[in-house]
Amino acid sequence: MTSNAFLPGLREALGAPGIAMAATFLAFGAAVQEAGLSPGWAVLACWGIYGMPGQLVLVQAAGAGWTGGVGIAVLGAVAVNARFLPMAVSITPVLSARSRWRLLPAVPFIAVTPWAAAMRALPAVDRPDRVPWFLGFGLTSWMVAGFASLAGFHLAGALGPEARAGLLFVNPLYYALLLAADLDRPAPRRAVLCGAAAAALAWLLPASVALLAAGLVGGTAAFLIGRRHGAG
Amino acid sequence: MAPADLALILTAAACLALRLAGVWLAGGLTTDHPVIAWATAVAQATLAAFVTLAIVAPAGALAEVPLAARLAGLAVGVAACLAMRRRLLPALVAGLAAMLVVRAML
Repeated sequence: MTSNAFLPGLREALGAPGIAMAATFLAFGAAVQEAGLSPGWAVLACWGIYGMPGQLVLVQAAGAGWTGGVGIAVLGAVAVNARFLPMAVSITPVLSARSRWRLLPAVPFIAVTPWAAAMRALPAVDRPDRVPWFLGFGLTSWMVAGFASLAGFHLAGALGPEARAGLLFVNPLYYALLLAADLDRPAPRRAVLCGAAAAALAWLLPASVALLAAGLVGGTAAFLIGRRHGAG
Repeated sequence: MAPADLALILTAAACLALRLAGVWLAGGLTTDHPVIAWATAVAQATLAAFVTLAIVAPAGALAEVPLAARLAGLAVGVAACLAMRRRLLPALVAGLAAMLVVRAML
């Protein structure tokens, strides 16, 4: 295995998708500050979880004082990050490592931005260079994410409420755009529409369980409708 | 242990387990296996519900932005994303700008 593909991966991580990702982590830092958690928690959440929607679910639960308990918040955060499983399934053959053990260092970096970049770029990279390329990209965006959240935390304290609201709008908007970009394929479209509709459960259920319930009900409904239609 | 730290450790461990499970299953399962399709649908639906609630009924500083401004930002961002062949960064800037402009007008 050569490591000369590490640098091209690193450079790729500093391009446009990396900037958009950094903006969401900057906004995450601001949300952590707003919820009254520490800057160290912000960085460790980025580096430990490295899945923004799940991180945001935890911050929201913290902001609400963990009213439903830690367990429900964790289940909600894991459900919203459950795409890591299918993402890992689909990226493993693309990385084409000779053994699964060689993939272990890459596992923590399987997340939306590195996954999307790798699925696009790796087919053109020589097979032995693919894991080093992914490590270069993943490690760089992972570092950037942690430091961006730290910067966002301190920036939020210095901003007025107007600018802070703008910063806090970045994440819902970014993920709305990611979902919108998927609406032309039937399976994601069903899941997105069912999930958005099931969000109405928030009027019936306590806020702490509403997200988890909406995801399970909406996602399962979308899955069953898709099976009945017999299309992917 | 503080609830925030406990939640962080549990979520990080579960997310790592999901990734490892995916790598481990990759030889035997394809991405259209029913279990994989269901997990994908639940993750996308949860994210859609999260975005819906964060825009329609947010907490904190965002709640002080009028609903009309939040919806305008969403509409302009999505339209820009679809018009600019799914380039996220310019669409993000457009949506954010629309939200700020409508808020300033109200």
